[in-house]
Amino acid sequence: MPAASSIQVLVVDDQQSMRVLVRTCLTQIGIKDIRDASDGEAGLKELIAKPAHLVISDFNMPKIDGLAFLRAIRAHPPIANTAFVMLTGRADAELVQRAVQFGVNNFLVKPFTTAQLKAKLETVFGKLS
Amino acid sequence: MSADDPFEAIKQTFFLECEELLTDLETNVTALTFGDGDGEAINAAFRAVHSIKGGAGAFGLEELVRFAHVFETFMDELRSGRKPCDDQAVRAMLHASDVLADHISFARGLIPAMDEERSNTVINDLRELIHGGSVSTTPDNDPDPTDPSLEAFDFKPVMFDFGALPLDSKTETAADGWIIEFKPHFRLYETGNEPSLLLRELARLGPTSVTIDTSELPVLSNLPEAGSYLKWVVELQAPLDRHAITEIFEFVDSECDLNLTPIGGLTSGLAGVQETSSVPVDTVDIAALLAAVSEDGAKPVPAGAAPALAEQADSLVPSVAVSNDTPKTVTAPAGGAKQVAATQASIRVDLDRIDKLINVVGELVIQQAMLAQSVTECGLTVDSSVKLGLDDLELLSREIQDSVMAIRAQPVKSVFQRMPRLVREVAEMTGKSVRLVTEGEGTEVDKTVVDRLAEPITHMIRNAIDHGLEDAQGRMEAGKSKEGTIKLAALHRSGHIVIEVSDDGRGINRERVRKIAVERGLIAHDANLTNEETDNLIFLPGFSTADAVSDISGRGVGMDVVRRSIQQLGGRISIASQPGKGSVFTMSLPLTLAVQDGMVVRSGGQTLLAPLTAVIESFTPKVGDLHRIGSGDWVIRFRDRFLPLINIARILGFEEADKSEVDDIQGIAIVVENEAGSQAALWVDTIQGQRQVVIKSLESNYRKVVGISAATILGDGRVALILDVDALIALGRQQANHVNFKLAS
Repeated sequence: MPAASSIQVLVVDDQQSMRVLVRTCLTQIGIKDIRDASDGEAGLKELIAKPAHLVISDFNMPKIDGLAFLRAIRAHPPIANTAFVMLTGRADAELVQRAVQFGVNNFLVKPFTTAQLKAKLETVFGKLS
Repeated sequence: MSADDPFEAIKQTFFLECEELLTDLETNVTALTFGDGDGEAINAAFRAVHSIKGGAGAFGLEELVRFAHVFETFMDELRSGRKPCDDQAVRAMLHASDVLADHISFARGLIPAMDEERSNTVINDLRELIHGGSVSTTPDNDPDPTDPSLEAFDFKPVMFDFGALPLDSKTETAADGWIIEFKPHFRLYETGNEPSLLLRELARLGPTSVTIDTSELPVLSNLPEAGSYLKWVVELQAPLDRHAITEIFEFVDSECDLNLTPIGGLTSGLAGVQETSSVPVDTVDIAALLAAVSEDGAKPVPAGAAPALAEQADSLVPSVAVSNDTPKTVTAPAGGAKQVAATQASIRVDLDRIDKLINVVGELVIQQAMLAQSVTECGLTVDSSVKLGLDDLELLSREIQDSVMAIRAQPVKSVFQRMPRLVREVAEMTGKSVRLVTEGEGTEVDKTVVDRLAEPITHMIRNAIDHGLEDAQGRMEAGKSKEGTIKLAALHRSGHIVIEVSDDGRGINRERVRKIAVERGLIAHDANLTNEETDNLIFLPGFSTADAVSDISGRGVGMDVVRRSIQQLGGRISIASQPGKGSVFTMSLPLTLAVQDGMVVRSGGQTLLAPLTAVIESFTPKVGDLHRIGSGDWVIRFRDRFLPLINIARILGFEEADKSEVDDIQGIAIVVENEAGSQAALWVDTIQGQRQVVIKSLESNYRKVVGISAATILGDGRVALILDVDALIALGRQQANHVNFKLAS
């Protein structure tokens, strides 16, 4: 049972409001170490500089989408094991299917509640304390 | 989590983002309208709506979500190619964009009510297009693809030992760093190698700290002429593979002692992996990684046929490794990546803070000017250090001021982008076919000006479509294309921003304008007016050429209102028209409302400021240049023309009566021009210099005074009034017409 406070999270979304929103929810869950980035490229840079346990990333982003970001992470061995939860407003089956193939750890469909976010994280890490 | 307090602030951020997203949407849909949009345009438009929907969902804005969902579904059909992106589709998107904007405005509380009927009509139109005719009337029977049963997928849980597992994945694959002991042999020097170059190479790999070991160095008296005694110990903090370091010493490895010790335990051989994990936060790394992934991602991978992750990873690793081996060849993409990052680095700042900063900087500039003046009065020489220091201070103050003003500078794009919608609406109402062309959207101007541009531009465009353009029939008869063109352009011209609204319509009907002006008593029936002057009559209060007052162009206050709002901004507007060919409305506005360049003059014992933008030139007239016409109006000869002479002191009431004798008058004439191009000469006692001043509103501190546009504080701390040249010229004319007027002094 990992302690929520020990999990380090990187939130990647091009919308500031979403970043703040996810951060607020994560804080409510008890997660303290939260960083964020505004796009996949910045996220990758951040992650390589300082790895995290978990990435929560939007799918729908300009330049590179969440899927490409996920693949870039999985393709870079030092960070390839980072847990990855995709945030999306539209989780159609095909997208989920592809993301699963690229090693996504779970999907979170917007809008979500703090409780839903917590539940998703628990499917990834096991029960949080 | 809809309206709880912590989320309220986030919601406001979201609304701000919505503005940007709507702009993106509009831009991309407009691009599609003109057929210059590509696949990326529809994708970008889709993303914008999708982001709006996502955020709206998070804040419980259900109506907005409902609408955005249908809109998004429609665009998904288009971008997947299932539905053609034809005229009908683009029109539907334009309508939907407008309604989406309304939904957002309503959610923000900016508009009191939502036009439900229009919204539902658009929803039904979109549905009809999506389902190819089978219209569904109930709102909720769209198959919502947003909720697949995710349980069906086999998500992998992650096994982490959060207590023990150090996050540095580097430690699993490579050392944290290296201690490099490097002792050159004498042979190394003999062969012309330079240790400092090698050390510099090392420093490129990461942060280094270098210590030099001089223990073997003989005392100076015993020092042989040739020999090698120095040893360097370099601590390199970078998780590198040993090879990366030995590579540097490759050409000298037989000419030195090299000893590498890893810092923080190297785990067993993962050579290939170490290769890829070499340099931390290396842009080359990231650019290559992303390039490899996005190229792949561009190809549609059919679900199920997608290669397994392991294969993907394998195929990616070599390309990354290559880029590391040849860093020089990939510097270009790396630079490109940096550039992209640089353009993205921006912060949101509350406007109040910037305004405060601008105010303070304004005060700073005044204070600096006051100090400079005091120093001058002390009689210090020009080359005294205080004076020189002050000069530097002035330069710096100016630079700060410019930089601060640059923060507020915004492209006019934000205003221009609201216009396509307006054009569509007015075109629909008037039944005319109109194409809007914009130019110079990137032209920057102070935010206060941008905010106030929308209204006059809106008015001018409405007018151009309603009055300027002929209907299709009329255009055909005139031998023009059926579609009228409205051009909206912005450009910088000598410290001003110039906005032009032109149309290819019928132009101004001068005879009619003249007739109306005479009818309304705006001009005398025998007034001798140039074409230009006739055209400019439409700016007079109460002038309207519309036979019937239409909903679109207002109630006969149109161009008058436009002119007034532009004048309030310190700008001018004029019209140039060619019968049958069209009209061009040109408005010229200052780039900022906070500072102004002006000429400091004295008149009737007062210090005043003439805005430099209005000043054409100044000269000291000879007695023979001044003439009195009739009962008492003065004119002055200027370049073989006579201009009305306006005595500032008298017209503003600083002096009671005009001096009767020309010989008594000692002064300078400043030739000024108003926005319509009329010239006059202002009569002042002296000119004290030219100065940039910070404008302080007179109205908000006192009240509006005719002939005065604002006030400022001069270097010596005194308040000086800024002359309103247009009003002065108008006053001068009234004076010439023997209208008695008295001004508050």
